[in-house]
Amino acid sequence: MHQQDMTLMAHLLRRAGFGATRDDLEAYVAKGYEAVVEELLHPSDPQAMPEDIIRRYHVDQSELRQLDAAGANWLYRMITTKCPLEEKIALFWHSLFATGYAKLNQARALLNQIDMFRRYGLGRFDTLLVELSKDPAMIIWLDNNNNHKGSINENYGRELLELFSMGIGNYTEEDIQECARAFTGWTLGNAEYMAVRASKDSIWPYGRIAWHFEYRDGDHDDGEKTFLGETDRFNGEQIIDIVARQEATARFISRRLFQFFAADEIDAHSEQTIQEMMQSYFDSGYEIRTVLRTLFLSDYFTSEQARYARVKGPVELVVGAIRLAGSYRTPTLGAHQLAYQTFYMGQGLLQPPSVEGWHEGLEWVDSGSLLERINFIAKELSNVQNSGVRAIIARLAAENGGTLMPEQLVDRCLDLVGPLSVHDDTRAALVEFAAMDGALQLKGHLPGDPSERRVGNMLRMIASTREFQLA
Amino acid sequence: MSAQAATPSITMQYVKTIGIVNNGFNGRGFANPYDLVVSQDGRIFVLNRCDPTRAAAIRVGICTLEEEYLGEFGNGFGTGDGQFAWPVAMAFDSQERLYITDEHNHRISMFDTSGTFLGKWGTLGGGAGELNGPAGIAIDAEDHVYVVDQHNHRVQKFTTDGRYILQWGEAGTHDGQFNLPWGVAVDAPGVVYVADWRNDRIQKFTPDGQFVARFGESGRGKGQFDRPSSVAVDSEGYIYVADWGNERVQVLGPDGSFQLQLRGQATLSKWAEEFFASNPDEWQTRAISNLIPNLPPHLNTPYHISSQTEPYFWGPVSVKLDRENRLYVSETNRHRVQIYQKT
Amino acid sequence: MASAIRDKALVVIQLSGGNDYLNTVVPYTNGLYYDFRPTVNIAAEDVLPIDDAFGFNPSLGPIKRLWDEGKVAIINGIGYPHPDRSHFRSMDIWHTAEPEKIGKEGWLGRVIRTLDTKGDNVLTGINFGRGLPRALGCRGVPVASVGNLETYGLYPDLQEERSRQFALQTFTKMYGGGAGRDAVMGFLGQTASDALKGADILRTAPAQYASTVAYANNSVAQSLKSMAQVIFADLGTRIYYTQYGSFDTHSGELATHAKLWQEVAGAVGAFMDDLQAHGREDDALLLVFSEFGRRIRDNGSGADHGSGGVAFVIGKAVQGGMYGEYPSLKVEAQLEGDLHFNNDFRCTYSTLLEQWLGLEPAPIVNGQFEQFACLKTSAS
Repeated sequence: MHQQDMTLMAHLLRRAGFGATRDDLEAYVAKGYEAVVEELLHPSDPQAMPEDIIRRYHVDQSELRQLDAAGANWLYRMITTKCPLEEKIALFWHSLFATGYAKLNQARALLNQIDMFRRYGLGRFDTLLVELSKDPAMIIWLDNNNNHKGSINENYGRELLELFSMGIGNYTEEDIQECARAFTGWTLGNAEYMAVRASKDSIWPYGRIAWHFEYRDGDHDDGEKTFLGETDRFNGEQIIDIVARQEATARFISRRLFQFFAADEIDAHSEQTIQEMMQSYFDSGYEIRTVLRTLFLSDYFTSEQARYARVKGPVELVVGAIRLAGSYRTPTLGAHQLAYQTFYMGQGLLQPPSVEGWHEGLEWVDSGSLLERINFIAKELSNVQNSGVRAIIARLAAENGGTLMPEQLVDRCLDLVGPLSVHDDTRAALVEFAAMDGALQLKGHLPGDPSERRVGNMLRMIASTREFQLA
Repeated sequence: MSAQAATPSITMQYVKTIGIVNNGFNGRGFANPYDLVVSQDGRIFVLNRCDPTRAAAIRVGICTLEEEYLGEFGNGFGTGDGQFAWPVAMAFDSQERLYITDEHNHRISMFDTSGTFLGKWGTLGGGAGELNGPAGIAIDAEDHVYVVDQHNHRVQKFTTDGRYILQWGEAGTHDGQFNLPWGVAVDAPGVVYVADWRNDRIQKFTPDGQFVARFGESGRGKGQFDRPSSVAVDSEGYIYVADWGNERVQVLGPDGSFQLQLRGQATLSKWAEEFFASNPDEWQTRAISNLIPNLPPHLNTPYHISSQTEPYFWGPVSVKLDRENRLYVSETNRHRVQIYQKT
Repeated sequence: MASAIRDKALVVIQLSGGNDYLNTVVPYTNGLYYDFRPTVNIAAEDVLPIDDAFGFNPSLGPIKRLWDEGKVAIINGIGYPHPDRSHFRSMDIWHTAEPEKIGKEGWLGRVIRTLDTKGDNVLTGINFGRGLPRALGCRGVPVASVGNLETYGLYPDLQEERSRQFALQTFTKMYGGGAGRDAVMGFLGQTASDALKGADILRTAPAQYASTVAYANNSVAQSLKSMAQVIFADLGTRIYYTQYGSFDTHSGELATHAKLWQEVAGAVGAFMDDLQAHGREDDALLLVFSEFGRRIRDNGSGADHGSGGVAFVIGKAVQGGMYGEYPSLKVEAQLEGDLHFNNDFRCTYSTLLEQWLGLEPAPIVNGQFEQFACLKTSAS
């Protein structure tokens, strides 16, 4: 295995997924970079923890009434899926179309929205926007259930243009109103009852009632509308047609995809790549899959420059560490706590603080969240009972008769958790840490032995490095 | 093979719904009910498994058919005496001692009907008499305790104080093998029925574990199952199956032939009515709502349909019968029990 | 770090879930109360009387004692326009002081930023409990969330002290390298250094603490004890926050509500005793609030979400008494079946901001609000 191929593939999997164990990485490298890109872009059977198993043991995830249950349900999926890009793109859209529990009080509706992102998230952007406009969680979130013929509510119409596609400066206030008119009648079944229940956080008498889309023809304003210079009796779909073909939309989507998958900061060099992405947006008929392919195969993305150019968000960090550690592969008592963990770190799944979503990059990190981040992943990766950690120990024990000098322990562990490159100073500190107890002898190791715990402690320190916080 | 009766020889009459969701730590209502037993004097004991945020509230609630709430008991979450982590099922013995299984603590705990902890038995393991995830429990007229030992894919038989008698079963799909079995029932003659959860079938055994028959296969049709979680048998040998994954209850004849299916038709319980009496805004908007809506194609699995259709069974985890042939269907996701009368 | 003039501290206790106003400050001589609350009521003979119209729930014993000492201001009928009866949304409104739109900054986050504009002291505001409440959230403002004061910091799971020390030393070395690093690495290094420094300082508080006051073994009492420890350690902390609950008593209310208040009142009593024993009574003021009250009519077992509620301001600096108006129970005075609020919570916030912390309230609470005269003109 060429080391260059390994580091590039590890980079791809950190970005398009949540990282990879060594076993997975070797399997991917054997397929080749382009083949793996295609595999990621065409998710098939995720083979994740089966729903019936989850529901039998986690009664809260059977009901999905509560936010932490829904968060944990999604986390289980992210942790156990074999199609990581499907989850990563859902996370991307979730951050962008930030719909939150605070107003909805409906965890299931939010998860249904996430599922919609799985089904449509790599397809055509215009199709996705239509599905989003029909999504009951979004309808309540942006008050489209209060958008009536003759009495419009502009909230969805505005955010569709401002936050979800073209961005400010590309349309007028009148366009917003016409857009809102086009979406009148796009509501949910039993809208009044559901809205009252949402506003009161009512679960009585028999728990939550899930939501579904309903089109009320009688409430739809089908009069003539003028939107971005075009005139017709537009309904929502036609508005989205027009929006999707705007250059501003192409730029918006390409930039956001770039920032999520490539680098937190956009500079002159990355502009070139974004242009290429915009071109493939139009060439493919707005297909996100094609735009991402362009990105993943670009010079920029495959170059050194793109390595570690993003700060891992809390969900990425936690899921990545758990996938590496091998925990939470079967229903685990206390799994709902995982949803709290990412919340403590600043990213509560399904509860973005506002319609603007989360502020990413370095804004993930402050003195409080940094401690939470490190404490969680250090604990997970230092636990020698976890199957992923045991897999690392087994590999180390099989090399060189199980004897490792301090430098070897450090370098082998950095390789197996990543490969992760660290600065010389970081490496020096890790070597000093390893050297405190001299050479490591893993031969004949038994579960829980001091020799195993030394590996656990090394993984703890590696998880604590600054470099590990970056994707 | 699903046999189909031309006309069922029995009917099930819907009687009422009891319950309301309770998201607190005490008081009337249920919190993810997982099983139910009826005492000789007609009190209904409901096992509240509780979601993890409220695990401290794990308790047995007691009420009557007339929906009078009598109280509850529980010692909270944990591994101590009388505490639970993941309680699954309950059964009375001939002295009306209540036995409750815990699939995380791998043991059976006993209480009297006023909630006094009486004792416990069971340790984690795969050997004879050891348990790994005890789920369903049933006690016959001679006080033999049958425990479904799910992760060991077997059924074990014990005395009431936990002394091992015999076992049968192993992982697999053949007759007498199981895959994560869940519920168990024993009829008057002592025949044992097991809800073989992941094999999507019911299996029938003699009191010492000889295979007698199996009913059902995977599917949504009549006589087919999707993860059956619980089974009950009445004095005439009719078999009631909580077809959990299909969000329904099926009734089979003593020969296993399909008789009828129920998908639930819940109405407002007395406690639900009291809620609406003090919340007129919800009552008024509910009155103009269609509680049995048409749903888009991507939401047409039984699970999704039930999540949006309030009267239907949702999470029908347990079926139990009382002496008058009333059927109690406990719905864990709706925090209620729908009651039918066999006629 | 001790200073001759001790900076005043604001302690906020959030009662999560919607505390039932009617059963906290009980209108025990009002027949309508018993009409609307046939089941979920406090009997007249059980209340701790304030006067011949109102009395405390009997579980508020220690708070009644403080009331008798003139240290409790009851803010009656507190709320905001267009009440929201959803926990998340209503609590967000209290946290961001923004009833009409989604606020972006927590009011106390702004306070911390105003008190410490240069960010010199990462311990200016501390939340006791995991997960920073939005009230304290503000971009660029570091606030520690302390689950357990004694183990706060890195690697609390490492029990063995020697291992922990080695790990911490290595961590410090790994994050120490500064020369030639890019901006991201530099930022991470600085942030880690701040976090560890803050943690080291915080842990001195329980180490120095000595007291004969007993706190009960529940989380609100332990949080208040931790707060007392930090106050006495003079770390410059000005804002203290903790949450307790759940007060969301839709059923089985009487027993649950009683227990919760016994715990909260007990914690407040112990905290005030501790302050007094250490001569620090002048230094702290408590605000106790909830995101809404509960419905006037009970549902047979509890009460559902309402709007108008009650808040308490407690401390030696308080001019004890009832403030605001106790809402009328008459049907024509109700707001959709709820107690009608008569003062905006931002009035109380403004009172505390200006009269206690000496800050200009308007930028923090997004407007000018009339203040209560519920604090004595304090001598420092």
